[in-house]
Formats: sequence, C-alpha cells, structure tokens
Amino acid sequence: MQQQEPLIRRRLSRRTPVAAALVLIVIPATILFGLFVLDDRKYMFVSVLIVLYAMIPFAMIFERRKPQGREIIVIAVLAAIAVAGRSAFFMLPEFKPVVAIVIIAGVCFGGEAGFMVGATAGFVSNFFFGQGPWTPWQMFCFGLIGFIAGNLYRAGWLRRSRWSLCIFGGLSTLIVYGGIMNLASVMMFAAKPSREAILASYVSGFWFDLVHAAATVLFLFFLARPMLEKLDRIKLKYGMME
Amino acid sequence: MRRSAFAAYHPFVNFVYFAAVLAFCMLWMHPVFQAISLLGAVVNAVLLNGRRAIRFQLRFMLPLFVIMAAANPMFSHAGVTILFYMKDGNPVTLESILYGAAASAMYVTVIVWFSCYNAVMTSDKFMYLFGRIMPALSLIFAMVLRFVPRYMHQLKVISDAQACIGRDYRQGGWIRRARNGIRMLSIMTTWALENAIETADSMKSRGYGLPNRTSFSIFRFDRRDRRLSACMAGLLLVLVLGAASGANAIRYFPSVHVQAMTAFSVLVYAAYLTLCLLPALIQTWEDWKWKSIRSRN
Repeated sequence: MQQQEPLIRRRLSRRTPVAAALVLIVIPATILFGLFVLDDRKYMFVSVLIVLYAMIPFAMIFERRKPQGREIIVIAVLAAIAVAGRSAFFMLPEFKPVVAIVIIAGVCFGGEAGFMVGATAGFVSNFFFGQGPWTPWQMFCFGLIGFIAGNLYRAGWLRRSRWSLCIFGGLSTLIVYGGIMNLASVMMFAAKPSREAILASYVSGFWFDLVHAAATVLFLFFLARPMLEKLDRIKLKYGMME
Repeated sequence: MRRSAFAAYHPFVNFVYFAAVLAFCMLWMHPVFQAISLLGAVVNAVLLNGRRAIRFQLRFMLPLFVIMAAANPMFSHAGVTILFYMKDGNPVTLESILYGAAASAMYVTVIVWFSCYNAVMTSDKFMYLFGRIMPALSLIFAMVLRFVPRYMHQLKVISDAQACIGRDYRQGGWIRRARNGIRMLSIMTTWALENAIETADSMKSRGYGLPNRTSFSIFRFDRRDRRLSACMAGLLLVLVLGAASGANAIRYFPSVHVQAMTAFSVLVYAAYLTLCLLPALIQTWEDWKWKSIRSRN
C-alpha cells in the first residue's frame, strides 16, 4: 500500500467566512478586551478563550456536514486507541502514542478527521489524567498536527513511506506540539510572560519534547504500516469517507 | 459516596455555575476574592469527592504552589519595593513575589474547581446539554469515554490469550517484548475496527440521525431550578456591578494598589462568598431538611 492517492482540491468555501470572522474580529476583540477592560493581566483567561475560538470552525464544519454513523465511530475508535495507548504508557512521562495515531488518522481519513481524532483524544485523555487550563491547548495541538498531516498528504508533500511519516512525526511533535505547549505553559504558569520566561520554558521543556518526539517516531516506525493497512482495508471493505 | 444535592439540579444550572465560577476565579486576583474562591473550591471538593481525595490533591498542589510563587520573582523584576539584589544584579521586588503567589494561588484554585466540575458534570449531562448544538461531537465524546475502559479490558483478554502461546509482552528479551506488545496492539486495532463497523450498522438500523429522537436521561427544568437560577442571576449581577466599579480589581505593578473597602465592596464580597459556597449551602440545607423530616416520624 505504497501508492499515493490522487490529489483532491479541498473545498474551503464554507469554513472560510467563519474562520475569517474569528481571526479578524473576535480574537483581536478578545485581546483588546483583555488589554483595556481586564487591565492586561489575565493571560490565562484570554489565551484559553483564543484557543477555544481556534477550534470552533472545525467543530462547525464537522457538524454542518452531518457525518454518517460509520465515520463518527471510526473517529471515536481511533481517539479511544490513542487514549488507551496513552494510559498504557502512563508511567513514562511524555512517552505517548497520541501524535502517531493522530498522524495516521490524518493521512488515512483526511485533515478534518485528523483534527477531530486529535482534539477528542486530548479532551478525553484528560478525563483520566486530570482536566485543567491546559486541556484546550493540548486538544488544539493534537488536532492541528492531524490537520497538517492530512493536508500535507493531500498536497502530496507527505508520503506513506515509513521514513516520510517518521520525519514528519518527529518534527511536528518538536515544533508544533512543543512550540505551542511551551508557550502555553508560560501563559498558564508564569505570572507575567516575559522574553526570559518564554526562553526558560523552551529550554527546560526541550528534553521533554525530545522524548515526546522520539516516542512519536518510534510508534510511527512500528505502527504506521500495519495501522494504515488496517484502516485502508476497512475503508475499502465498507466504502467509507470519500 | 453520598449523592450531591447540587448535582441533582438541571445540567444547565450546573454548567452555568461552573463556567461562572471558573471564569471569575481566573479573572479576579484581588486577595479577598482569591481567598473566597479557594475556600469555596476546597469546601465543595471535600463535600463532593471526600476528604481523602482533596488531601491527595493538595499534596501535589502545595509544592507546585511554592515553586510557581518562587519562580516569578526570578523572571519578573517589575515593581518599586526592592527587597534585595540577586547575584546577577537583578532586583527582587515585593510586588513580583506577591504577584507570583497570587498567580499560583489562582492556578491551584482553578484545578480544585475542575475536580468539582468533574464530579458534578457527568458525561450524560454533558451529552444532554450539547447533544442539540453539536450532536456528532458529543456522540464521539461519549463513545470514546466508553471505548477506553473497554479496550483496556480487551487488551487484557488478548494478552492472556497470547501468554498461552508464549507471545505475551512479559515474555522473552527486550526486543521480543516490544514486538509482542506491538502485535497485541495490532490485534486490538483489528478487533476494534470490525467491532466499530458493526456498532455503526446497528446504530443506523435503529434510526441514528433521524429527527425527534429522545435522550437517555430525562432532566426537567422545574421550579427549584428556576429559583436557583434567579438566585444565581442576582449574585452575578452584584458581582458584575462590583467588577464595573473596580472593587474586584487589584493592581500589582508598579506598586500594589486596591480600592479602599466600602459598604458596597463588602456586599460584593458577600455575594461572591455565597456564590462560591452555593453547592455546599444547598447540601447543608438538604441534609437539614432530610433530618427534620426523619425526626418528625
């Protein structure tokens, strides 16, 4: 199963207005509200709101599409496997297979499904690991990686070969997940975000991110081919999604 | 465990309550408000989760609190009251220490409130509230919550079966164990996917996606819900007026400044205290009512 699927132009028409309104109006309004009304000290509150806004267009487009039962349930299965995998390795911090499974979901079922699997896995796994202000951030990071993986695959940049997936997995964990989560921890933990605090967070978080990236590469190396085969088989057998 | 009286109210009331309490907790860093919110969170958590759960939580929280409070003055040197200079010549200020303590207290309070939220807002309530606006997403959410324990159980079954033929993840050398573990995961995935398609077909044959479906739990918005909502709306009004007048705000930099206490600000404090303790008050009231009914017979 090494062949690439034909390139398909994505229709972005319906999401674009909502996303544009959020990015151009609601997010700046929240930041200004934080600056003037809340006196520019409520970083945690404002940042959590912005991350939640970022997920609204995905949720809207998914609901508007009226997804079929089979599609819903495959997304739920993949998210549950990611959560179960995360709890199976709970004793090793940052050694989690979530990103690997989210990337596989994105490649196999498209960016939207990848986003849903990632966001759901982030949300539900925190029911077992503890909810908190970091939940929306994690949901967003996992979801974004799935979305990027799906769209890069559609664009033909990401291939189904083991090495292509491993390289993408390692880089996306390090740059997307690590890059956003370290910034998020400054927003949540530090009283007043400063350049030094952000730098300190990146330096202290680097080793954790490296372990996480290594785990993603390892899981992709072993899981990518069998998982993709199984998912393709299910897709072919039942004629799902696309 | 005892049934919580507050959790018996309509999910909408529960959800609005927690949304308000969490938002206020993140917004208002006035020491009086922080103390009230922390007190309310801990009292409710003890009533909902029991004393042992909160003791366990605080054992993790207190070191976190100390580290976070201590870290802030290292990175932030704003403020006018300089206490001493660090080795690298940067000043340590009273304001940044106080602000660090306040920010970490807020963080701890948010986490304790979330533990109350998890105890009250069960997934069927969540489904009931969001099933109308986002049916597909809340269905996914409910299914994943169910699948996770089920898959953990299935993994155990697979592991037992594999152990019989010497292919368990506890047998063999390091590489063999890893390979066996991956194989187990692969078996589980195949099983899960086939199983899932069957579930999906079963859902379809029972009319998933058709209009006019009902939900499993029946919640009615009755008189006591209306009464509690009115009560909460009144408290929220007082609090928002307080916020508009500046009674809830504190300025940390360059120097610590709070508004002088007035009769109105005391009223706002009282409203916040009532709001934060609302579930505990309802519980006490219900307990008292129950006792008085029983003692009458």
